[in-house]
Amino acid sequence: MTETPLIQLVGVTKTYHLESGDFTALKDVSLDIPENDFVAIMGPSGSGKSTMMNQLGLLDIPTSGTLCISGKDVSRMSNLERTHMRRDLIGYIFQKFYLIPLLSAYENVEYPLILKYKKRDTSGKAAELLARVGIDAGMSSHRPTQLSGGQQQRVAIARALVNDPKILLCDEPTGNLDRKTGLQIMDILCTLHNEGRTVILVTHDPKIAEYATRTIRLDDGQIVEES
Amino acid sequence: MKFGDIFFDLSMRSVRLNFTRSMLAAIGIVIGVVAISSMGMLGTNMQLEVKEQLSSSANTIVITPDSVRMGAPGTAPSSSSNSAVTKTQLTKITSVVGQNGTVIPIYTTSSQFTINSLPGRGMVYGLDPADIPEFLTLNNTYGQGTTNLGVNEVLVGSAIASNFGVTVGDRIKIGSVTASSRPQLRIAGILNPRGTVADGVSTDNAIVVNSKWYTNQYGGKDEYNQVNIIVKDTDNIPDIESAVDAKINTNAKSPAIRIRDAESLLATTTSTLGTVTTFIMAIGGISLVVAAVSIFNVMMMSVNERIQEIGILLSIGTERGEVRRMFLYEAFILGLLGATIGGICSLLIGYSVVDSMIGTTQYFFMFDSIVYVPLGMAIGIVVCIISGVYPAWKASNMDPIDALRSE
Repeated sequence: MTETPLIQLVGVTKTYHLESGDFTALKDVSLDIPENDFVAIMGPSGSGKSTMMNQLGLLDIPTSGTLCISGKDVSRMSNLERTHMRRDLIGYIFQKFYLIPLLSAYENVEYPLILKYKKRDTSGKAAELLARVGIDAGMSSHRPTQLSGGQQQRVAIARALVNDPKILLCDEPTGNLDRKTGLQIMDILCTLHNEGRTVILVTHDPKIAEYATRTIRLDDGQIVEES
Repeated sequence: MKFGDIFFDLSMRSVRLNFTRSMLAAIGIVIGVVAISSMGMLGTNMQLEVKEQLSSSANTIVITPDSVRMGAPGTAPSSSSNSAVTKTQLTKITSVVGQNGTVIPIYTTSSQFTINSLPGRGMVYGLDPADIPEFLTLNNTYGQGTTNLGVNEVLVGSAIASNFGVTVGDRIKIGSVTASSRPQLRIAGILNPRGTVADGVSTDNAIVVNSKWYTNQYGGKDEYNQVNIIVKDTDNIPDIESAVDAKINTNAKSPAIRIRDAESLLATTTSTLGTVTTFIMAIGGISLVVAAVSIFNVMMMSVNERIQEIGILLSIGTERGEVRRMFLYEAFILGLLGATIGGICSLLIGYSVVDSMIGTTQYFFMFDSIVYVPLGMAIGIVVCIISGVYPAWKASNMDPIDALRSE
């Protein structure tokens, strides 16, 4: 008996209905991602990488086909159930960091905990994670605009980790960083993978993709290569 | 709303970040709350003042001739011949009342007069001097007066006394200022202010003369314009009224007299004042509609400026209801800000308006009056929250992918 993969795409198609006509961003994509996998998704612009990430991040649902996460068909879930799954199971790391500008670094990390437990964090977990990604207590009271790109991405990683997600979705996490900082971020992601997390990484950079244990190439909405 | 709610914090920070804009929007709410609260308090204070004044003559039944009669619908109006309460009717009234009260026949007209070379106009009441102390009192700060009027003596009301600088002993000429000769009478006393009264004898801007002088001057002896009954026990008022009615208004289709008391006048007056108060409050409420548009506009601006932030919130697991709550909090904060300032301004402005327009603030802090401040504030806050419903709904229903792409 084979174990059910953590993420399973079966014939997933995503079609957008635009004024200029229908546009299919993902075409009949099937893919299994087992737990503790480190997958890099590569491909040229418009190949469907972002659409794939939106599907995996439950920000959207397939037009046809089945996407199962932790054995649950996301298309059959309510909007609220998908929101809760996104909150509890998935950590999202964006290229543009996307920290909440009105909150401090600490509050940004604390925020998902508040969403989950409906109360302020008293466990010290947010502070602990910030320290782990290299943000000291002095910096944690700063607003995102007062931090450098690398610091913001570290805060974003801490935020993504704070609810102990099984899956880390990283959408070009080093795209807005210099080479050195980018490599530091990748070291953090490798450590997280080694600790047992499933990391899915979208990148244009083959050097970054080398960190992954598996690379999937997308073109025109289809998987064209898997290595 | 939970203490320490992060969505409330976010809303507070958003308001603080755009403080000037938020304050400008809240000004509309301030004006609306002030308008509603002040107008409500003014109207209520008027009602309470009138009620107090009318209840001071609550023991009085007022009988007037039923001089104008309208015919039945569809028929020509008929006019009764009763232009005065006659001596016979007065005798009947006196016999009905018996020992239960005092019957006071009153003559009234209006006339011009001159005091200290200054012309004026006011009501003239002709009363038997013996009846005067039954319901009128003297203000002796203008000089020691008497209610025991001689034929050529008068009492003047408080407003005339203060406006004309009268002291007891001054002379008053009564009659048209263009008349070649006018009788001159001595002012024997100044009456205390009565304000609005239910007994039909408003003496503040009036002259009270001896009934003998009145009938000598104006004629109409034993044809009274009004008869007041001051009853000993107010519980007897309905019985006396019905007894008088049965005795005199023998023809039900054409009653000879009208009978009313403070209670019926009070009901009519407070109802009228209540309607006027509601109307002016509704006018004040229009400013809240304008404020609602302003709050709506600010909330839409807030939503449009924070599209990407909304996208972030939704993408990291914030429920749509929580996003909605965040924007409703923001509208609530704007409302609370405006309503609090408005409430404080209402107290200050309302107090000044009531003091200047009614002349007393003794009822201002009574529950019926002061309740308009929290009421106005509550209306202001509710208006704000309602204005925030659509922007909050719009924010919570955004597609997180589109919202994240927004710059």
